[in-house]
Amino acid sequence: MQWFGFGFNAFGQICVNEGLSKGADSDVTKEVKVIRPTELTSHVERSGCCLKTSQIKASWSRRACLHLVGDSRVCLAGFGADVSGDSCGDSVVESRGCKDAFISELYLTLAFPDRIESWDLQMKEKTPSWSMEIKTQPESSEPPLNLPLVPGGYIATKPPLYRSLSPHLRAKSLALGAEHAILLCATGAVYTWGLGSHGQLGHGGLTSEEEPRAVEALWGMPMSCVATGGWHSVCVSGKCYTKMLTMKWVTALNLRDKNPLFFTDGGDLYVWGWNESGQLGLPSRGLRKAPQQQRRQQAGASCQDDSKSPDRELNETERREEVFISIQAFPALLDVTPPCEIRTVCCGSRHTAAVTTRGDLYTWGWGEYGQLGHQTLVSSDEPQCVEFFREQQMHVVDVVCGTWNTFVAIIKEEVACS
Amino acid sequence: MATLWSKISALLPLNEEQFLLQFSDKVESSVVDVLKRCRQQLYHDTTSTSRMLNAQIILDFSWEKLNTGTWRHVDKEWRRVYSYGCLFKVAALCRDGPSEDEILQAVRTCDMGLLMGAAIMDNILQVIIGILQNEVRKSSKGDDETEHAEVKRIKIESPHAPVIKEELAVPRIKCPSLESFNANYLLPLKPVILEGVIDHWPALNEHPWSIEYLRSVAGCRTVPIEVGSRYTDEEWSQTLLTVNEFIDRYILNKDEVKGLGYLAQHQLFDQIPELKEDIRLPDYCCLGEEDEDNITVNAWFGPRGTVSPLHQDPQQNFLAQVVGSKYIRLYSPEDTDKLYPHQSQLLHNTSQVEVENPDAERFPEFAKAPYLECVLQPGDVLFIPVQHWHYVRSLELSFSVSFWWS
Repeated sequence: MQWFGFGFNAFGQICVNEGLSKGADSDVTKEVKVIRPTELTSHVERSGCCLKTSQIKASWSRRACLHLVGDSRVCLAGFGADVSGDSCGDSVVESRGCKDAFISELYLTLAFPDRIESWDLQMKEKTPSWSMEIKTQPESSEPPLNLPLVPGGYIATKPPLYRSLSPHLRAKSLALGAEHAILLCATGAVYTWGLGSHGQLGHGGLTSEEEPRAVEALWGMPMSCVATGGWHSVCVSGKCYTKMLTMKWVTALNLRDKNPLFFTDGGDLYVWGWNESGQLGLPSRGLRKAPQQQRRQQAGASCQDDSKSPDRELNETERREEVFISIQAFPALLDVTPPCEIRTVCCGSRHTAAVTTRGDLYTWGWGEYGQLGHQTLVSSDEPQCVEFFREQQMHVVDVVCGTWNTFVAIIKEEVACS
Repeated sequence: MATLWSKISALLPLNEEQFLLQFSDKVESSVVDVLKRCRQQLYHDTTSTSRMLNAQIILDFSWEKLNTGTWRHVDKEWRRVYSYGCLFKVAALCRDGPSEDEILQAVRTCDMGLLMGAAIMDNILQVIIGILQNEVRKSSKGDDETEHAEVKRIKIESPHAPVIKEELAVPRIKCPSLESFNANYLLPLKPVILEGVIDHWPALNEHPWSIEYLRSVAGCRTVPIEVGSRYTDEEWSQTLLTVNEFIDRYILNKDEVKGLGYLAQHQLFDQIPELKEDIRLPDYCCLGEEDEDNITVNAWFGPRGTVSPLHQDPQQNFLAQVVGSKYIRLYSPEDTDKLYPHQSQLLHNTSQVEVENPDAERFPEFAKAPYLECVLQPGDVLFIPVQHWHYVRSLELSFSVSFWWS
């Protein structure tokens, strides 16, 4: 498995630039905005043995690589990290033996088999800002929790770090937005709470909720995955899918068939919240305005060549004007063309990325830092396939978004088929 | 002649060391790091692309913070960070002999800082905008000729003013003394139209407010515009336009856009001090208990047909009419039970009733509520007592100024 990154790179969190550190500006835009998916140096070289990155977590200014094989640990790249070209980041000494990690702009939270610790990333203190012990439960029937969930509650992005959750919810996974949260229960039900000003809670209104409240519109439709951006929420319907296939399993399963690579259940996408940059994949007024004006000018310019077609174009854009979505306060089913099943989804502050069961990556929303991977700086209010991975015959297996960037795990097709 | 950049850089601290960037710990050190890069680039050679890029990172990041949580709860530090982003962007735009378009972009950037940011460095954005506006004026002279005809045409449209029934008319009084206004209207909370109290405003004398005048003082300035006939409508929205764009689109109707645009409830006079010179605080405001600084002065500028649905405000209000006329209806707070306020928290101070076209079936009590009405003319000042319900419709091109005080 290899990891690629694209989007915001002002702190070298995707790749280290010579120019950035020296203050020279050969092509500074390209360095800050990585528009072409770029392979990460995603391993730690330690006395000849090479540790592969199993998972990536990202905040606005940093990337955390989680190495789970062997001597497990977290490496940090980006703001404050002293990274040379051939390693994946500063190895965090305190992370030795950790099994999961979660990073926000202020804290790095680490989950160990017997404890959870949150470290302040700015203060560089000798002890964690917050910690809790975990009682080891032998033969527990429930699967281990993923951060930011912890036993009895979850870790927030700002103090107080620990917040409790009712055990009745049977929390399975949790995603945190700028001011709201979305929780997936073991039953497949979805709960949201926090600020509702942009419809991000999906209860139909714009009011806030202090306590977790079930998203009733999704009632009876079990979900398998939840994600949240700054002001929007996304979930995928379907059976629960907890573990990702690693390369070892792919070879073990001896997958010869090119497509589909994985025989997992996918599902449909449901989106709600703010559509300011097209992050819901629904028509966004702000995005259509600019190209429309351009088209009008072009239409005016090309009038002499063909007097009929520009008019028809204008009519079409005008007709579309009727259906702009600014706020979607109830979950809406998002169609991806061509039709496909979604396996997992993740959101940046204003963009969304989804992986299909066939191993394609689709992205939409805010693109001004290159976070959509379409090798432009253009935003999109329609899900679009990231052609790069198709062209390179890579199967996308996972996606993780930072605030303004995107990280993608892939498996090369020929490896999978050998 | 000094270049634009030398005028702007003269406002900046002499060197990097004297340019302080201090924020509370709400602002993450990664953000401060980018702010420092911007500062460094202000005093060193680099490309404008690079300057622009870092300024835009600050603007994009703080914009997200300004949109996180309710506006009231946004930490002021993020509004300061946003203003610094504006300052750095303006510097990037104006550094190397800017084009006309870049200067207008810089004006717009300053306005965004004034509208959404907080004052930094002795309100440096306000000072820079003064310099930039002089630059804009130098380059734009002429081509007002065609407009006069159009403005006239608009004025000719006869405002179909409702006939005011005498027994319902708001009383009118000429320049009352402070004592008599206090005793007869303020203390008993009775509405009244004051005549002759703003006749001395420059806006009605030396600088009569006209479309041409507003264009010359504020044409390139960005202001918030309400689009849609009334704020209770589904399709109602807000947008940012320059005063020139607003006048072209919604006052002169050049693009034939459907719908109404209204520069409503905006503290325009804080944004454009030159216009503040044209108005005065009514003396009667001194009868209030609060400081003059706590008086909120709002501009209301729009075409014929703008409607403010029946609503109430938590403060005393002087509504001064400068241009055009407005039909106004007033209901006492004692009759709130007949006015059917919206249930939602956001609109609980607004009535559901369409005042001039009430749905008698849904709102049977409304017809029983007694009211006062008037057509406010240029030079009139209407005293709307605190919590008094009011409905306002413009009868022609109109500019009003409201003073909220306690």
